[in-house]
Amino acid sequence: MPDARSAPAAATDRLLILSVFVVASCGLAYELIAGALSSYLLGDSVLQFSSIIGCYLFAMGVGSHLSKYVRDEDALARFIDIELLVGIVGGVSATLLFLLFAWMSAPFRTVLYALVFALGVLVGMEIPLVMRVLHNRQAQFSELVSRVLTFDYLGALVVSLLFPLVLAPKLGLSRTGFLFGMANAAVALWTLWHYRAEVPGARGRFTRGVLAMAFLVIGLAASEHLTRWAERGLFGDEVIYATTTPYQRIVVTRWKDDTRLHINGNLQFSSRDEHRYHEALVHPALASMPWARRVLVLGGGDGLAVREILRYPNIEHITLVDLDPAMTDLFTRNAYLAGLNGGALSDPRVTVINADAGQWLDENAEVFDLIVADFPDPSNFGLGKLYSVPIYRLMAKHLSANGALVVQSTSPWFAPRSYWCIDATLREAGFVTQPYHAYVPSFGEWGFNLATRRPGFVPPESYPVPTRFLDADTTRAMFRFPPDMRPPAVEPNHLNSQTLVHYFEQDWRNVVR
Amino acid sequence: MDRRRLIQAGLAAGALLALPGCRQLRDFGIPITVLRPGMSEGHALRDATTLPAPTREIRCGVAILGSGIAGLSAAWRLAKEGVDDFLLVEGPEPLGNAAAGAMMSPTGPIPHPRGAHYLPLPSRESATVREILFEQGLIEADPFAERPRFAETALVHAPDERLLFGGQWHEGLLPTDAVGPIEAAQHRRFLAFVADLTHRRGRDGKRLFCVPMVESSRDADWRRLDGVPFRDWLIAQGYTSPTLHAWLDYVCRDEYGAGSDRVSAWFGLHYFASRGGHAANAADGALITWPDGLAGIARGLLARVPTERRLAGHALRVEEARGGVTILCHTPAGVVRIHARRAICAMPLHVAAHVVPTIRALGLDPARHLPPQAPWLVANFLLDGFPQESGDEPLAWDNVIHASPGLGWVVATHQLIRAARPAHTVFTTYRALADASPTEARQRLATASADELLDLAGIDLRAAYGELELWRRTRAVEITVRGHGMSTPVPGSLANAGLAALREADGPVLFAHADLSGFSVFEEAVWWGEQAARKAL
Repeated sequence: MPDARSAPAAATDRLLILSVFVVASCGLAYELIAGALSSYLLGDSVLQFSSIIGCYLFAMGVGSHLSKYVRDEDALARFIDIELLVGIVGGVSATLLFLLFAWMSAPFRTVLYALVFALGVLVGMEIPLVMRVLHNRQAQFSELVSRVLTFDYLGALVVSLLFPLVLAPKLGLSRTGFLFGMANAAVALWTLWHYRAEVPGARGRFTRGVLAMAFLVIGLAASEHLTRWAERGLFGDEVIYATTTPYQRIVVTRWKDDTRLHINGNLQFSSRDEHRYHEALVHPALASMPWARRVLVLGGGDGLAVREILRYPNIEHITLVDLDPAMTDLFTRNAYLAGLNGGALSDPRVTVINADAGQWLDENAEVFDLIVADFPDPSNFGLGKLYSVPIYRLMAKHLSANGALVVQSTSPWFAPRSYWCIDATLREAGFVTQPYHAYVPSFGEWGFNLATRRPGFVPPESYPVPTRFLDADTTRAMFRFPPDMRPPAVEPNHLNSQTLVHYFEQDWRNVVR
Repeated sequence: MDRRRLIQAGLAAGALLALPGCRQLRDFGIPITVLRPGMSEGHALRDATTLPAPTREIRCGVAILGSGIAGLSAAWRLAKEGVDDFLLVEGPEPLGNAAAGAMMSPTGPIPHPRGAHYLPLPSRESATVREILFEQGLIEADPFAERPRFAETALVHAPDERLLFGGQWHEGLLPTDAVGPIEAAQHRRFLAFVADLTHRRGRDGKRLFCVPMVESSRDADWRRLDGVPFRDWLIAQGYTSPTLHAWLDYVCRDEYGAGSDRVSAWFGLHYFASRGGHAANAADGALITWPDGLAGIARGLLARVPTERRLAGHALRVEEARGGVTILCHTPAGVVRIHARRAICAMPLHVAAHVVPTIRALGLDPARHLPPQAPWLVANFLLDGFPQESGDEPLAWDNVIHASPGLGWVVATHQLIRAARPAHTVFTTYRALADASPTEARQRLATASADELLDLAGIDLRAAYGELELWRRTRAVEITVRGHGMSTPVPGSLANAGLAALREADGPVLFAHADLSGFSVFEEAVWWGEQAARKAL
């Protein structure tokens, strides 16, 4: 009984079935995006994935239930509306969540699950509506169910493979979201075009559809900027440089004249007050050893300590050993950042070596007059080893007879047991120690230790080089500990016990509370 | 954004696994090396019907046959005492169970053990062990005092050990904090009991349990424990805690190569109550280790043996002759006959049973007296980076899975002092084939394919990290099959008359091997090496 009208009708119905395929793909994609994003931001991927899938499936059930309240004659129009809505909500979901996480972490989970629930409800309504549209158009029911569901599951399979293999690695989550949003909007526009005669207010819907599509295209194009913007939210200031190396995530931010370096999210220096830290690290030792010729700097790939050391004309050679070539390259080649250290890393007196400090000390026999150990804080067992008795004994072997070792020693105010544990460890390793501290506004009260093999060190009364922070008075204050900063009883940091790592963890846990 | 990439990779790999056929992923491109040290030489000895004729004759005072820890200790002692006419025949596997290897990573070779890999703090009675450690700088001061000072770099660095129990890693190997009060009380009761035993002496005034084993008290009340399996004794004492049983079964397999149902109760307790060593700079129970296990100490001992006093090759036959012994040796340069005043058989006793025809006359009947030998697998996994983990308990030196048939793994790069984790590492897994009869297990191992061995050796790493994460990281695997890995002290070992007879042997043929104690540890091997050297002096 085919007639003149039924052939194109069958063709457009086939298109509707194909749109099921796209719709199903998009539905699964949003679920995967939400799962992957929350795992990335919150960790514990099993929990994140299963709770998101659960929430999403439940919401789809709610959507299916709600779909019965749509009247038969409105089914097609509602389907188109829902497609547009899913396209917009799903499209922006990843970017929205990332931005939200950057600025306020408290409502993140609430928004995440609300968004997943809303998407689930909308996606849950799609398939029942399509089936009703097709059923109204006299397709045979058993045939209809089988075709719709076949394409539904096929779409799911395609995305489940494409998402992890191509989309997430190549496009990233934000752009993948926008891409699938565009697919939903395209289905809406396409359906609208084919059924324009049957949908009331087709022109208005068409305008809305085009606007939604334009919004998603702009979103896709801008998502790179939005992500940067979000990171700026995380770090507070504009991110001027960011890179991920095999060892760490390096982010440089700038706000007016304040440049800050963050490694793995931890502040390393602020250009406004880093002179206090680096003057305190270098000058008390070097000002009292005018005979010093050779210096070893361990860590400190930003070159700021080297800048201070280079002020001494008696220093003939500086060896800088830093783990990460990305770090030393950045502070050698980037004109702005190299400006902060005055081009110190390109100075002919400086040799930059990218190696693990522990290994380098083990494998080299060079002797230095001053060693500056400017390592990251002992926040794990690996770093803890760089503050242990054997490594200090090893450093002692690299020191000339009257040489000195200066160690960045965490904060004597926030982490007193860690600070004094490092002091005890140096003494256990046979050093005579001179603990001291300085106030660095962006860090708070910060601690150092000047260790020598022989007693007799006297803090300098004056400095032969220009200083901004240090003078006779500040120096005297640095080497005095007021009554509320007296040393607690602590054990030295031995490799077999690694007490320092435990102290550090406990100290900072107390600070955070 | 490491985390993001990780999830992406995980999802990608998950999708891959869903495709049929991709489970064979690991078969692609991961080279597996299988070593069966001493197997062909041992089987040739066992199956030989005729002996080859020598092409060369050598004369020496004392011939030491085997360069495992016992043979090396004997050679070291003789060298220290100024003996210059001994000859060390290295045996089929130089350094024996202290052998080590190195896997080539893109960032350089990573040394790793192929056998034993750590030492407990030596007891006061282990004077020779202390002497060796002091000589090698591993004890820095007061070697014979109550509390010697050990080289800190050799003490196992924190975190030392952890247990995967109930889906989570816990510090230490006994999950006392993660079980109910009744089990926890049993844990504490057992630990208090063995702590007390450490100080107890028998009626003869000797320590109840001592290393070396032969110095233990002969108090019959305690030696009766040798009549029952450890597990039965535990149950009779009211120890029912499943976690305690799982831990003690692990200890028995790790130390003796068989489960607590097969190990003698006396030896089960000996493990806990015999060491009692202390250190000036470490807690009791501390361990000493090196990236390549005991090979460092073994090489230190070997360094005292001049090159001209070493001979590559292995003994085929040891026979008493007028005024001494003759030893027929297979060497790379042909068959050699050694004429010696005395021979120290520093080889496992199941090998000596084939090499020394007079062993029956010396008192050991191989059919009755040879201790059962547990088969072992030692597998080294060269990894790209470190497998991803979750939870707060970081990777330790020794990582054990509760109630697993495997014995966990140690991290070969753990003792390195590094700011960042190395780009490559080696995980060494241990497994005693304690689940079947040793003979059947040996037959299985002798013919097993590399993949089958990998299945056996990788059980714990797969359980901890999943197939995907493990094979994604693995660049190469080396599996050492030790069909006769160690002696198991089954009930009745203390009364083993054959072992007692060989311990006392003082004729032209002497014996030196940990097997003489009925179990295989470094300290016992050193002890018997020392005893044999003293007799030969």
